[in-house]
Amino acid sequence: MNQLMPLAMVSPGEVVQVVDVRAGWGFQRRLADMGLTPGVIIRVMNSQRPGPIIIDLRGSRLVLGHGMAQKILVKEA
Amino acid sequence: MAKEITIALAGNPNSGKTTVFNNLTGARQHVGNWPGVTVEKKEGNCSYKGYNIKVVDLPGVYSLTAYSPDEVIARNFILEEKPDVVVDIVDASNLERNLYLVIQFLEMGVRVIVALNMMDEADSRNYRIDVEGLSRLLRAPVVPMVANHNRGTMELFDEIVKVAENKAQVKGLKVEYGREVEEEISKLEKLISQSELSQKYSPRWLAVKLLEGDEEIVKKFKEVKVG
Repeated sequence: MNQLMPLAMVSPGEVVQVVDVRAGWGFQRRLADMGLTPGVIIRVMNSQRPGPIIIDLRGSRLVLGHGMAQKILVKEA
Repeated sequence: MAKEITIALAGNPNSGKTTVFNNLTGARQHVGNWPGVTVEKKEGNCSYKGYNIKVVDLPGVYSLTAYSPDEVIARNFILEEKPDVVVDIVDASNLERNLYLVIQFLEMGVRVIVALNMMDEADSRNYRIDVEGLSRLLRAPVVPMVANHNRGTMELFDEIVKVAENKAQVKGLKVEYGREVEEEISKLEKLISQSELSQKYSPRWLAVKLLEGDEEIVKKFKEVKVG
């Protein structure tokens, strides 16, 4: 299975690859500034509601809201 | 009369800026606030080899865009106050992400020293960093450090004095954006060179920021006459 899904739906512990950010230019740029670019491999550390999504990204943790994570498309790495 | 040098400490959050700040300034620092915002700026003084060095610790940022107040503060300090040297504290164990900010400083045309901090952490992860190679590629001095053990502080001091003395030499780094973008950059650059803004900021950098739609920079252009 290698279909795209929003980051918000990935379970904790899973390792995925970012494919696309379906959002405005400003948000894409902001994420890229923090190192979240298409192709990067990330590990989801927490995705349970309530609470934010925490990912392991390039050796540090990034916290995202569920709304944001909905716009980030990933596939299994 | 001692000569004055102003340096800015910049870097990603958690790269050890404040540790470096404390190493450089010892116990003589005082804490101040930026006017109008809640982000803290620390200032301290120290002397080294006959120089009076003012050290400004900027808020930790990932980039120099105009999105958040801390980024605007860090960028404006460097653009408007023009410190003699910007010391960018880089986490050697997380080099890829940290270098993004380094590139942004270099593109601005400011004098940058890369303080490659947490070298022990990088070692323990078996990262082998070619310090000289990095320095050659970035065209900027790179000083390996372990700030929490106060290693590399004297080397950093030496480099600060060296860079501040050679004021004229800004090597800078030109990032190539590809033919289409470069064409637009040079068109804008030409126009910008005729404006008074070009005396304060690098025309190429302004052109890139205009193409990015950077709000703060667009604002500057609305206030300026061309020709």
